[in-house]
Amino acid sequence: MVMVSNLEVPRELRKEALKHDMYLKPISEDTYELFFGPQHMATENFSIILKMDGSRVEKAIANPGFLHRGFEKLAEQRPYFTNIALLLRICVPESDVPENIYSMAVDELVGWEVPERAIWIRTVVLEMARLASWMFWIMGFANEIGLYTAGSWAAAYRERFMRLFEELTGGRVYHIYTVPGGVRRDIPGDRWLRQLGDTVEYIKSKLKDFDEILFDNYITFARTEGVGVMDRKFALDHAVTGPNLRAVGVPYDVRKDDPYYLYPELDFEVPILNEGDSLARVLVRRYEMEQDLYILEQLLEMGPPGGPYMVQDKRLKSLPRFKVPAGSAWAHVESTKGDFGAYVVSDGTHKPYRVHIRGPSQSHGITVLEELLRGARLADVPVILKTLDNCPPDIDR
Amino acid sequence: MDMARIAEPEKVKAKVSKSFVKPWLGVKYLFKRPVTIKIPFEKIEPAPKYRGFHTLNWKKCVGCNFCGQICPARAIEMTWLELNGKAEKRPHPKVDYGRCTFCQFCVDVCPTGALGFTESYMLTTGGSEEDFELYDWVPIEPDKVREINERFGDWRFPVVKVEKLGEGRIRYHLRDGSTFEFRILGYGIRPPAALRKPKSAPAKTSKAGGSGSGTKDENAGKREEKTQG
Repeated sequence: MVMVSNLEVPRELRKEALKHDMYLKPISEDTYELFFGPQHMATENFSIILKMDGSRVEKAIANPGFLHRGFEKLAEQRPYFTNIALLLRICVPESDVPENIYSMAVDELVGWEVPERAIWIRTVVLEMARLASWMFWIMGFANEIGLYTAGSWAAAYRERFMRLFEELTGGRVYHIYTVPGGVRRDIPGDRWLRQLGDTVEYIKSKLKDFDEILFDNYITFARTEGVGVMDRKFALDHAVTGPNLRAVGVPYDVRKDDPYYLYPELDFEVPILNEGDSLARVLVRRYEMEQDLYILEQLLEMGPPGGPYMVQDKRLKSLPRFKVPAGSAWAHVESTKGDFGAYVVSDGTHKPYRVHIRGPSQSHGITVLEELLRGARLADVPVILKTLDNCPPDIDR
Repeated sequence: MDMARIAEPEKVKAKVSKSFVKPWLGVKYLFKRPVTIKIPFEKIEPAPKYRGFHTLNWKKCVGCNFCGQICPARAIEMTWLELNGKAEKRPHPKVDYGRCTFCQFCVDVCPTGALGFTESYMLTTGGSEEDFELYDWVPIEPDKVREINERFGDWRFPVVKVEKLGEGRIRYHLRDGSTFEFRILGYGIRPPAALRKPKSAPAKTSKAGGSGSGTKDENAGKREEKTQG
């Protein structure tokens, strides 16, 4: 009996598939091209073209570009305040980070002293965004290694933060809350602060359950130990930041090394591990989650200072024509993905001359990913992708 | 960096221990209440001051176009209207929810507080042309929207049908059965030909080039307002 290879596609169909670049091409006898994503759950609007040798990846080519693009150019065509509603789309799970870096840079350009109350609120919002983002990451990572239960829990706990954000900002995912000069709304009362305290307590108690089912789980160890190993020199050469850099033993954290907001007054630890494999990246993230809960507790203990939540300036009355003095400013914060920064250049008009965003995902999601995937097994591809934790809109920016 | 603030690898690793038994402890969650919301038997209310559909106090609106200028999605178009046979002195914003991002910067910049918003957010529609036209509207009075919200409480759009009567006349059929009728005279910051005064009209038409936006047009609009008032 003649074996018919399943690659023998009818000629017309093959032509059609080639036209759309969707044809599984046999490169040589054993090597095939495999499209990983954007439908795959791990990739989130991002795709990788894998050249497979059996179940081993011979070469990986990142294939981004499925999302919003041209943020930086669009930002040049809109007034300063309006850009907040645009730039926050650069990182969907923690949209407060782009808001904050842009606002910090514009604050510096104008020379505003942001009120203490606004600084406190901004710090709380950033930490809440970090925790919500950790929950989102657990959801993605746990699903990728097959522990769907932990993923579902994380999605449910993230909802608590979304509810808090909804009451504070009026939006669930895109908060559009931090603006140059302060924040847009005051805290909705002591009830909200109590709710935040309860949520922190609640998540803290649930972290034990996460440990049991996810972080202590032998499946997690088996799937991540020794997978996607990155050494220290490689990481530093490729501008790796955030938890991925701390997992190779470099204690770099913007909150400590270039402090902003209330972080100099807060007490927290920067975890490091030396292995540089996927397990190290997971454990660093787990430790940071605990630290973020601790930071929020300290902030709640500190309590919001009195005073206005927005800078008092007459120019704000004509917001659409609000002009910023010429100059340039750079600001960056530590996000869950890594070092997020914004560089804003002003030429003295009501629109920025140039806005550049430095996102961590450009290196994590393209160069580092392509390098780490070389020689990995197909089943490890989502694990490496998720432990690097990139943000596809940041690549497409 | 202060070396004391670094959690050493041993400390980080001590937090977890590889276990074959612990994952089974998750079984206890089988006896807990689920967190999912069983729609339509259960529902969650949006938070107070959730950013939803706009409202507009027609008497307060001065037609300054601040909302149109700040809008990041360019969803707002100034519209000249005629209510009960009497033309409104200033243009009013028309919001296209196909573009709106619900950032509510327009509400923030409104100098008189005429633009407001409600918690209604349900932006769902059928597939017909008529349904799509629904979500491009001149917001109506806040009292009316609140009344409808209190009566129905399902956070839907207050208008169910937009009827076009010809010659720019439009009738909104609200959810509580009442109607709201007005006439659209023209678009843009500058008043349409029907509203222009004959004596100042020639000068204006020679100066303005097209109906584009910008400071020049805005100034022209301001001058027009002065001559009217």
